[in-house]
Amino acid sequence: MNSPLRFSAIHDAVRSLPGLWRDINGMPTLWTLPDSSPKTIGIADLSALTRWGVKGAQAADWLSQQGLPIPEQPNTWVPLPEGGLIARLGRTEFLIEDSVGSAIAPRLAAACQSPPPKVYPVLRQDLALGMVGDRLPDLLRQTCSFNFQALALADRPVILTSMIGVAVTILPGELHGQPFYRIWCDGTFGDYLWCTLLDIAIELGGGAVGTELVQG
Amino acid sequence: MSHRLPPLPGEWIDRQHPIDALFEGDRLPGYLGDTITSALWAAGQRVLGRSFKYHRPRGILSFANHDINVLVQDGQRLNGRADVTPLTAGMVLSAVNTDGGVRGDRRRILDFLSPFLPVGFYYKAFHNKRLFPFWERMIRNISGLGQIDPTTPHIRTAKRYDFCDVLVIGAGISGLSAALTAANGGADVVIVDENARAGGSGGYQLGGDWSRAEQTQALVDAVQQHKRIRLYTDTLAAAYYADYWVPLVDGERLTKMRAKAVIMANGAYEQPAVFRNNDLPGVMLASAAQRLIYRYAVKPMDRAVVLTANFDGYRAALDLAERGIQVQAIVDLRQSQSSNSLIQALQARGIPIYFQSCIYEAKGHPTRDGVASAVICPLDAEGVPQPGFSQEIPCDGILMSVGWAPAANLLYQAGTRMRFDDAVQQFIPDQLPAGVFACGRVNGSYDWERKKQDGDRAALDALAFLGFSPSLPSIPRPAPLVEESPSHSYPVVDHPAGKNFVDFDEDLQFKDFKNAAQEGFDNIELLKRFTTVGMGPSQGKHSNMNALRILARITGKTPGDVGTTTARPFFHPVPLSHLAGRGFTPERHTPLHSRHASMNAVFMPVGAWRRPEYYAQPGKSREDCIRAEVNTVRTGVGLIDVGTLGKLEIRGPDAALFLERVYTGRYSNLKVGMSRYALMLDEAGVVIDDGVIARFGAEHFYFTTTTSGAAAIYRELARLNTLWQMDCGLVNLTGARSAINLAGPYARAVLSKLTDLDLSGSAFPYLGVREAVIAGIPALLMRVGFVGEWGYEIHVPAEFAPALWDALLEAGQSQGVTPFGVEAQRRLRLEKGHLIVGQDTDGLTTPREANLGWAVKSDKPFFIGQRSLQAMASRPIQHLLVGFMLEPTFQGTPPQECHLVIDGSDIAGRVTSITFSPTLQRYIGLAYVKPSLSTVGTSIFIRLSDRSMIRATVSPTPFYDPDNTRQKEPLLQRQEMAV
Repeated sequence: MNSPLRFSAIHDAVRSLPGLWRDINGMPTLWTLPDSSPKTIGIADLSALTRWGVKGAQAADWLSQQGLPIPEQPNTWVPLPEGGLIARLGRTEFLIEDSVGSAIAPRLAAACQSPPPKVYPVLRQDLALGMVGDRLPDLLRQTCSFNFQALALADRPVILTSMIGVAVTILPGELHGQPFYRIWCDGTFGDYLWCTLLDIAIELGGGAVGTELVQG
Repeated sequence: MSHRLPPLPGEWIDRQHPIDALFEGDRLPGYLGDTITSALWAAGQRVLGRSFKYHRPRGILSFANHDINVLVQDGQRLNGRADVTPLTAGMVLSAVNTDGGVRGDRRRILDFLSPFLPVGFYYKAFHNKRLFPFWERMIRNISGLGQIDPTTPHIRTAKRYDFCDVLVIGAGISGLSAALTAANGGADVVIVDENARAGGSGGYQLGGDWSRAEQTQALVDAVQQHKRIRLYTDTLAAAYYADYWVPLVDGERLTKMRAKAVIMANGAYEQPAVFRNNDLPGVMLASAAQRLIYRYAVKPMDRAVVLTANFDGYRAALDLAERGIQVQAIVDLRQSQSSNSLIQALQARGIPIYFQSCIYEAKGHPTRDGVASAVICPLDAEGVPQPGFSQEIPCDGILMSVGWAPAANLLYQAGTRMRFDDAVQQFIPDQLPAGVFACGRVNGSYDWERKKQDGDRAALDALAFLGFSPSLPSIPRPAPLVEESPSHSYPVVDHPAGKNFVDFDEDLQFKDFKNAAQEGFDNIELLKRFTTVGMGPSQGKHSNMNALRILARITGKTPGDVGTTTARPFFHPVPLSHLAGRGFTPERHTPLHSRHASMNAVFMPVGAWRRPEYYAQPGKSREDCIRAEVNTVRTGVGLIDVGTLGKLEIRGPDAALFLERVYTGRYSNLKVGMSRYALMLDEAGVVIDDGVIARFGAEHFYFTTTTSGAAAIYRELARLNTLWQMDCGLVNLTGARSAINLAGPYARAVLSKLTDLDLSGSAFPYLGVREAVIAGIPALLMRVGFVGEWGYEIHVPAEFAPALWDALLEAGQSQGVTPFGVEAQRRLRLEKGHLIVGQDTDGLTTPREANLGWAVKSDKPFFIGQRSLQAMASRPIQHLLVGFMLEPTFQGTPPQECHLVIDGSDIAGRVTSITFSPTLQRYIGLAYVKPSLSTVGTSIFIRLSDRSMIRATVSPTPFYDPDNTRQKEPLLQRQEMAV
């Protein structure tokens, strides 16, 4: 077997966890943990999902030409028919993230090798986390000054805010009736964010979970 | 003997759960719900603590979280406030600030030495430099509260955020009423109270009338059952910050509450009267006695004298009488009052009332552990006591009910303009900030109905402010109380023997204020600092108002003219553990962090990053390791993680023009496939950043910034792009791309194993840039020479960095490739004479001074800083950056960065960089010197910290490879693609 080329920003922090690892898009990923009992908070590394960004005045039109649905309002998201999601970050910037089974982001990246005017591709190398559990609001209240309780999930909001001093993009939602939040941040803050959130999650009765549990 | 009363409705103690603790070796029985003080008082203990300065015996004063003379230690927990700290089973308690226990405190001798400890003692004592150490030692030995146990475990107290529409501070009658009205109007309400239960004074200031307690309880019940109200008890609103931020402190944590509107129903602090021995155990505020009775069912005393100046005192007397306590007398500072139901009720019980009288002094037992009698006397028309007509009334307790001070600390912090209201004799809000509302006592509303009405009114105002549509019509602010003032204008009685305390925290007597004013400290700010009034743990809650009245009387002003001091956040002490919370210090790691760690990297902080300073090797010193790393790069091949560099990308037709406007160089003529040094100035023409700009397409540039400048530079460029509306787009790739610099004579040989790219000097010349695949990884390559050797800066998506690092190490194994750290890189660049922005420049350095004039294309139409450079062009230069070397034979302590260059007796410059060059085998450096010393060959003198002088010689730079031969091949052919 060839050595993997892609590594998550928190690969070294996660690799000591016992569990089943899978190769997702060329990245070793902790897929399941032996302890699959429900947790008050479960945090999983979703970095292996392929993602791509684009910004510029013509970015929305270009994406539309590529057949993607465009969130109408800034700071909202919509699911992609093939799986994954597209989030509108502000007026003219977009984040596209695949599901485990889709590959829209690589296709877009390839199509944008020679970008048209006012379309600027954005290399996304985020740490991507998925957090689920009924005590998630407690964790968020300790780490982020944003009032998530005031959001209407039906509006599919996307929040660009700061969490424990790190700029993050947060997509709140629900998974199996429980709060489920996706978080993206600059991967260079990955170790710090992961370790801090995991510490708090453990204090609240939670812990790390495999990607399978939150891949939605 | 127990002083516990029979069960009372609504009492806070649970008699089904008796608990035991120890206080200074004695068993302390109590009930669940007791505080330490209530249990002690119930057990008959009267001396609960010792005063801070004179070590006088003290008992209960406020019983409201401000009895700072009764601080206790429970094992590793220091300075708990006994009046509010719950008694728990197994506590082992002792009073702090004693030498030998609270009863036998050996330092009580200080009380007799008090004449030698005048006001301003600290200032006077420390004025003499010679005696400073003596006093310091002595005071350090005597003072200090509690014994710290250094083995105390770290208690993690996580902070949290919380949110609401309306935050109501204070769950008394007005606060409860406000919360209900606001919630009924549709608002999400949080109401907080520092007490263990809601209700405030509605639960204990009854005057024997239980219906008030029932009405209050009905409000509490309604609040507790309301689905839009969250009631937080045992929670202190400790400060107010802009935009309705209020830190809430409870036993577990600090909560940062973000409200949309704040209603201040903070209430008021009852104020003591000033008379001789007003600090004896047994002398307490009337509200303290009422809390003892109704919350904890503890009898405050057996025989009481009530000193009052309002009808609250009468109500307190009735509460005592109802509980079987003999009220010996009511002493009213006011003139005779017309008869009312309270007076009649007291008279019916045969309690004598002495109008226009005062307590001249309290007399204690010979053991000074309690009150034996009250000496009262009439006041003349001017309010001056007439001790010649005094009489002594035996008692074991004295209640003081002479006035209130608004708990307006948060209102002040919110920016409220307060005014002194003569009718209620207190400061009340005059002009409130938008979204902040006040009600209840803090707003001058004192009786039950007024407080409720005021709470409703404040809530309706808050609802209107928030855009809710309240169903109730707006209510005007209740009219001020006219029939009586709740506070006396001057409840102060002088006494020739003193010991009439104004500030119980700091043992300040009435005479101290007179003396301070006499010494010229006659405004409130000076008086506070000189006397230390209000600077103790209770922060003046029971002393500032009396101090203010005294100063007003001394200076002939009104209290309003004297004004108040500022109560800074937090206005009440908060445990440091709460403030510290969990440590959130963002730290950045490159994707190669664990690779470095596994190779024994010694990390150093660089801004938020952690970078390898060097890689430790067994048996080698730090210096040896660094020199070896330098040597590897000069003679073999090394690699360094430079992923911390700022990495930006710009695309679009105006990209080149944009770069030319923000950097000093010219980039429109930069050929595709080439790179160029980039220097950035601020508007003042000062060097603020540098990097390399690479052109990968006609409208596509990729460029680097310094590690420390990355975030700020991107922000600024994004701002400028928005401002200038140019046709280009910026992307910050600092975290998304990783970068490794492979450098040394064998760099090409190593890289060639991993790529098909033609790496020959002709195909890929110095300063060339290429897109290539390295070890299967898509990469951007830049042939740069920061360290002065043939090298490649390889930029890849961050997720590929570990794989690239591994591949380079493996490919370079036969060439002996090794990683090198930041310190080796600094030495290598210094040998090459390259400056580092921020180290070899400062906040005033211009390109000309830094010898960077070559990087400035002044003939461009515009770039940031250009106008300033033009304005400075004709001015003589003050100093220049030059290279220097020490003698090769130099031994001893070398100069350090920032050491001064001395010319004669003048400062002529300073060293910015210096290091031992392993390549040149001598010390080399950079320094700013005045122009007359900048000629190559000039001797300069550098002064060390020990004032010795080191001679150095100004030298040309680069020190190493001045002709740049390390970057050239014999048949160099630069092939640049046409734009």
